[in-house]
Amino acid sequence: MTKIIMIVDDSTSMRQMVNFTLAGAGYLVVEATDGIDALAKSATQKVHLFITDLNMPNMDGIQLTRKLRAVPEYRFTPIVLLTTESHLEKKLEGKAAGATGWVVKPFQMEQLLAVVKKVCP
Amino acid sequence: MDIAALQKKMRGAFCVEAADLLAELDSSMLELESRPQDADLLNRVFRAIHTIKGSGATAGFNEMAAFTHHVEELFDEARLGRLIITPQMIDLALQAKDMIGQLLDTEDPSSLEGPCADIVDALSKFLPLKSRPATNGHAKASHGGALEQRHKIFFKPHAQVFFSGTDPVSLVDELCALGRATVTAGVEGIPSLESLNPEQCYLSWEVELVTAQPLAKVKEVFLFVEDESEIRMTSQLEPARGGSEVASPLTGFLNIAGQSLAALAGFLAQRRAATEPDLTCCKNYLRVLKTFQASAHHQGRIAVVALLEEQVHFLDSAVASNSAFSNQTTDALADGCQKLTDLIKSIGQDNQRDIMSEPAASPAPAGAPQRDTVPASESKKDANHGASSIRVDQDKLDRLMQSAGELLVARNAFPVLAKRLALEHGLSAVGKEVKDAGDHISHIAEDLQAAIMSIRMMPIRTVFQRFPRMVRDICRAQGKEAELILEGEDTELDKTVIEQIADPLVHLVRNAADHGVEMPDARVAAGKPRAGKITLKACNKENNVVIEIHDDGRGMDPARLKQKALEKGLITASAAASMDDRAALELIFLPGLTTAEKVTDISGRGVGMDVVRSNIRRLHGTTTLESHQGRGSKITITLPASLMVSKGILVEAKGEVYVFPMSSVVQMARLPRQQIHRHEQSHFVTFRNEVYPVLRLADHFAATKPFGEVAWPAEVPMAIVQTERGRVGVVVDRFVSDVEVIVKPMGRDFANISAFQGATIMGDGRVALVINPAGLI
Repeated sequence: MTKIIMIVDDSTSMRQMVNFTLAGAGYLVVEATDGIDALAKSATQKVHLFITDLNMPNMDGIQLTRKLRAVPEYRFTPIVLLTTESHLEKKLEGKAAGATGWVVKPFQMEQLLAVVKKVCP
Repeated sequence: MDIAALQKKMRGAFCVEAADLLAELDSSMLELESRPQDADLLNRVFRAIHTIKGSGATAGFNEMAAFTHHVEELFDEARLGRLIITPQMIDLALQAKDMIGQLLDTEDPSSLEGPCADIVDALSKFLPLKSRPATNGHAKASHGGALEQRHKIFFKPHAQVFFSGTDPVSLVDELCALGRATVTAGVEGIPSLESLNPEQCYLSWEVELVTAQPLAKVKEVFLFVEDESEIRMTSQLEPARGGSEVASPLTGFLNIAGQSLAALAGFLAQRRAATEPDLTCCKNYLRVLKTFQASAHHQGRIAVVALLEEQVHFLDSAVASNSAFSNQTTDALADGCQKLTDLIKSIGQDNQRDIMSEPAASPAPAGAPQRDTVPASESKKDANHGASSIRVDQDKLDRLMQSAGELLVARNAFPVLAKRLALEHGLSAVGKEVKDAGDHISHIAEDLQAAIMSIRMMPIRTVFQRFPRMVRDICRAQGKEAELILEGEDTELDKTVIEQIADPLVHLVRNAADHGVEMPDARVAAGKPRAGKITLKACNKENNVVIEIHDDGRGMDPARLKQKALEKGLITASAAASMDDRAALELIFLPGLTTAEKVTDISGRGVGMDVVRSNIRRLHGTTTLESHQGRGSKITITLPASLMVSKGILVEAKGEVYVFPMSSVVQMARLPRQQIHRHEQSHFVTFRNEVYPVLRLADHFAATKPFGEVAWPAEVPMAIVQTERGRVGVVVDRFVSDVEVIVKPMGRDFANISAFQGATIMGDGRVALVINPAGLI
């Protein structure tokens, strides 16, 4: 079954880049512009893995993680946070919120693919 | 997927986004200058820079990202409250922002290394000293020794591990994929079914892994769970031994066997000690037997499997026949246990015996299972996720516009046909139906046109937004103070007009800041406020958009203009003498004229104003100038709001038809001939207490001047038309009708005829020239 991955990031080009890379590896990618958009879209469409930026308007990545974990369907779905080196302390906050793992920005596309394969085999 | 093509695509996508972000930064940074403590603003600026850095690096713009990092630092400190933004910082930040744009545009980023380093240096002076971590600490496997190591890994995940979306089994799989491994699951922690919470993890694993991969890679498997899980690892060098391959799976099985037997023994003891029949105990016993059996089967230990099967059957029937709790049963079970123990022992001692024929029964997969890759063509990509707007190819829009416009002209044929049907063929009824159908199509066509026009309409803000920065830069460079006020930024103009109006407006705003506004001291001496005020205003007026650039600076001196024009030989002495102040001001539009004391970097080369006027004329607009010495100047640009289809008045003169754009016609009237007066070679008309020069269209285009008296008809059809030089009464032979026309350009050879904007094709196929009133005189 094709896995569906949602990328949540307010940067259009970032979403596109992740989309290109993951689609090329055989995943189906859904884009969302921030936490609110992500929650809305994931309610109508099953998602197998969430990749989300931390710093977004309206609802940030950590809040999104908490909200997703409260949705019965997504309690155990892997959530990967995109974080910058200067925000590694967010790691702990993310884990506390229920995130599965993280990828440090800027990242090479192979790194992202490796993490995706790791948490969503 | 072609890597090069993918990269190019990513870079392209990023550049589009970056352009928007950089433009936004321009205005945000300036706003920040006046409100440096606005948290919201600071966050916005930070986020924009952050995105440029992050996405840019991912798209491959490494030098740009490295440079941007420094700018980001500055604003990070600011938004965390550790730094207050000063105007000097904004100056530097704007420079940096320009540099980012350059780094994105250039083919060779390293050529900008020098200027970048300067800016970074300057930025660092504002930043508190701190050691910076190396960028992107991604652990790379530095040495992959051929030497193998044996790792004994104990992994007990946190009970709540599932809540972080982690599947521990996949981690164990990952470990196994690193080399050759044996896995033993620790099931002691699993409670009975009644008290089992399926959302908790009760399992632990012991993995023996033989791998040539470095320790870091092994540890990496647990990267996301190490904080909350129990992980113990011991490692030793693995001597190159052939036998280990076979030994490991066995060891694993022996471990399991040992555990199971221990559990069984435990339950037996419980049974003996129990005073009452304990069904739970039975169930647990059965469970252990079955688990053990599965393991043995997995290992291919047939004898063990058979023995266990026996036991299971026995216990089952005992339970069924209600003798499960008798001492006999217990003894029989104990017996069975002993047999198992003996068998296992013998297996341990002689590991060659009892191996099943299939060699494929290995406990842990040597490699990760192959995943089917779905071909990319099957994955549907929905390109418009979350998009509230769509970028449209300009060509497509143009074609759409063209078609809509042609539809509007084509519909003009219907009234003509209707008339012909009625008059030439006596079919009035059908004629009326044709006309009605035509009207209906007209309405739809008009709606269509309006809708398409509105797609092309953009707020003038897009042009205005660059001016605050420009004024600021000029003022700082010259030591002046000025405030730029923007009004009517939401006024919409056709995209093409906006693009073409940008340069003229730049000229005019520059002039206002550079030449208009005086030095602060001079202003104070003249009783004005220290800071100059430049107003840029746009508004809609009827079918036009009016843009005003007003400054309260020194204004223009008609006398000096005349003098300069004379000096440059642009006008004759006699012309200068007879010129009034209003006309003198118009001199500024002559090419080559400048009264600037020195040519500054910005303006003063004298090429500005004439280019401005001709650009605007090309857009079928007008430029007028007002100025008062010492008080300031105001330049007014009037543009048609839409380019293509215009409403007009069809007139006839000397057998030819012409169209006057509706927006230029102030009034249409039929005047009694008595109101026309002659003065020397020209005529004038008085109309509603105003005097207008008269122009006879017929003569004007034929370039003939009537000899003697003109034979005026009793009633003179006249249109009062707004031209650049003021209002003129244009006499025509006859007003025909209102029309809607697409003005088609005249063609290169005729483009310079200022009297005409273009031509149009009427409903009956005739060609009518469309007059450009601005250029009529």
